[in-house]
Amino acid sequence: MGDVGRKVPERFDVIVVGAGPAGCAASYMLAKSGFKVLLLERGRGPGSKELYGGRIYAQPLRDVWPDLDKKAPIHRWVTKERFSFTWGSRVVTLEYRVGRSVSFTTYLPEMAKWMADRATEAGALLVDEVVVDDIVVRDGRVVGVRSGTDFLRADVVIDAEGVNRILLEKLGLAERLDPGKVAIGAKEVLRVGEGAINDRLGLSKKEGLAWLVAGDVTEGVPGGGFIYTMKDTISVGIVLHVGRAVEAAEKGFLRTSIHGMVEKLRLHNYFKQIWGDADVVEYGGHLTIEGGLGLVPKKLYMDGFLVVGDAAGLLLNTGYTIRGVDFAVTSGKLAAETVVEAFNVGGPTEENLSVYESKLKSSFVWRELVKHRGISEIMSDPYYFTVLPALLTSLLKKLFEADYEEPTIMDAVFEAASEEDISIAKLLLKLASVVGRV
Amino acid sequence: MSTLEKPFKIEDLLQRNIWDVDEEPHIEIPLDDQEGLKKKALALLCPAGCYTLIGDRLIFSYEGCVECGLCRIITPSDKIRWTYPRSGKGVTYRYT
Ligand SMILES: Cc1cc2nc3c(=O)[nH]c(=O)nc-3n(C[C@H](O)[C@H](O)[C@H](O)COP(=O)(O)OP(=O)(O)OC[C@H]3O[C@@H](n4cnc5c(N)ncnc54)[C@H](O)[C@@H]3O)c2cc1C
Ligand code: SF4
Repeated sequence: MGDVGRKVPERFDVIVVGAGPAGCAASYMLAKSGFKVLLLERGRGPGSKELYGGRIYAQPLRDVWPDLDKKAPIHRWVTKERFSFTWGSRVVTLEYRVGRSVSFTTYLPEMAKWMADRATEAGALLVDEVVVDDIVVRDGRVVGVRSGTDFLRADVVIDAEGVNRILLEKLGLAERLDPGKVAIGAKEVLRVGEGAINDRLGLSKKEGLAWLVAGDVTEGVPGGGFIYTMKDTISVGIVLHVGRAVEAAEKGFLRTSIHGMVEKLRLHNYFKQIWGDADVVEYGGHLTIEGGLGLVPKKLYMDGFLVVGDAAGLLLNTGYTIRGVDFAVTSGKLAAETVVEAFNVGGPTEENLSVYESKLKSSFVWRELVKHRGISEIMSDPYYFTVLPALLTSLLKKLFEADYEEPTIMDAVFEAASEEDISIAKLLLKLASVVGRV
Repeated sequence: MSTLEKPFKIEDLLQRNIWDVDEEPHIEIPLDDQEGLKKKALALLCPAGCYTLIGDRLIFSYEGCVECGLCRIITPSDKIRWTYPRSGKGVTYRYT
């Protein structure tokens, strides 16, 4: 018997693979309902392999943990939303002062640990440093998982392995990830100091800022930059559409590495005022889903099996908001409810577990994904990531940098367009198609 | 000029993290035949800079790998063996 086998008893009601938001939510709900739950995580402690942007929408998490506001490791409540377009040295920034904050910033490793602690307090057993190699199927039924030489048996396995769904691929429920449907993110965490963050960004205690950036920070590749304030650090990162980035790199259009882009953003004249010469305390990268319904697997359930969170393709990226963690938690919760109900009506058969799909499809997660499904085409079109920032920044330059005579807005638009070599007719068509899609 | 005003090399960035590098490479990509590899993309897009292009030749080192999975999905599956490091090895994030 190998390592895992020595640490745990023979048999579980439910094994959950992956102690991310989805796996922790499912484990917590099931343990609370009296199920014997084993939560397996490959990292050294929950959250230790996780990297995201920086903010979480609170309400869906409160549905699972009503004491979230008091107990969770919340760094700051987002009270300022910013969006910038960059082009050369020109930057246009839009700021919205949030009336009622609905999201908070935190470190994902810290938050995942908190969620995993809730699950273990409720009675789940967490075993970390275990890589699950296979989900074991016998006679069409999932009967447990294999890690190295250990076989661990359970009535139900919940796959919460995240975006790299290697187990789901092996099961035949998902294709290998399509580079056109994922993005690669890289980020740095800068130690700025709580007071400096507040002063430089006009935030009071516990108030936070979320800032997305589009334009030449990604050198023409669809994607963007992000900046989130934590308690005393700031996260700064870049996300690139993988399919488009590979294309641009192979054709020689892309010359800067993704870590080079993050460093350029850190050293960008406009942005660097905020962190000054703060040191980098951590750096990393992670894949993420581009959004839309494109990565939802053929089936979300099998006899004895459910898939949740990123593994189930449940993430929305509209370009101005990213909702992954709250979707993951919600799907984990719905999976747990499904399992509880299945045991009340005879067990986790395929038919009883199919209820998960109906629950998901009538939840806000699915409604959001369906409503915004047109977005992924826009988010992968280089046009919007070059032409819009170029035109907008050039337009404002015309309006605000006049010594004597200011152009009219219409004149400025045409002048800016001709300077940037942009066809207004094409722009209008593109914009009309955006309106059509969103 | 302080060092913080110049771009860091990838090694300097990665050095900030907690590491317990597996003695066994968890990724193998045979580089004798580089046909079909997205060489430039691997060199620019691996967030840990594990792939380097020297002239037209790609070299690879798994040590700074942050296990993101990107190289797995842009390389033909018969040209790469990609697994997770064993027993919690590899990178450990705290603030991400
Ligand atoms: C750059 C970037 C920015 C993002 N920004 C945001 C944001 O600001 N807000 C937001 O809400 N979302 C954001 N997301 C998305 C968010 O991180 C995910 O949607 C969320 O983490 C999904 O949760 P999950 O539990 O499904 O998967 P994960 O969080 O990925 O958790 C999966 C867990 O399973 C473990 N695991 C995987 N395979 C195995 C195995 N074989 N054996 C054992 N353990 C295994 C992993 O180590 C991990 O702990 C971002 C993502 C990225 C990459
Ligand atoms: S998994 Fe990611 S970090 Fe590791 S070598 Fe591949 S691309 Fe680089």
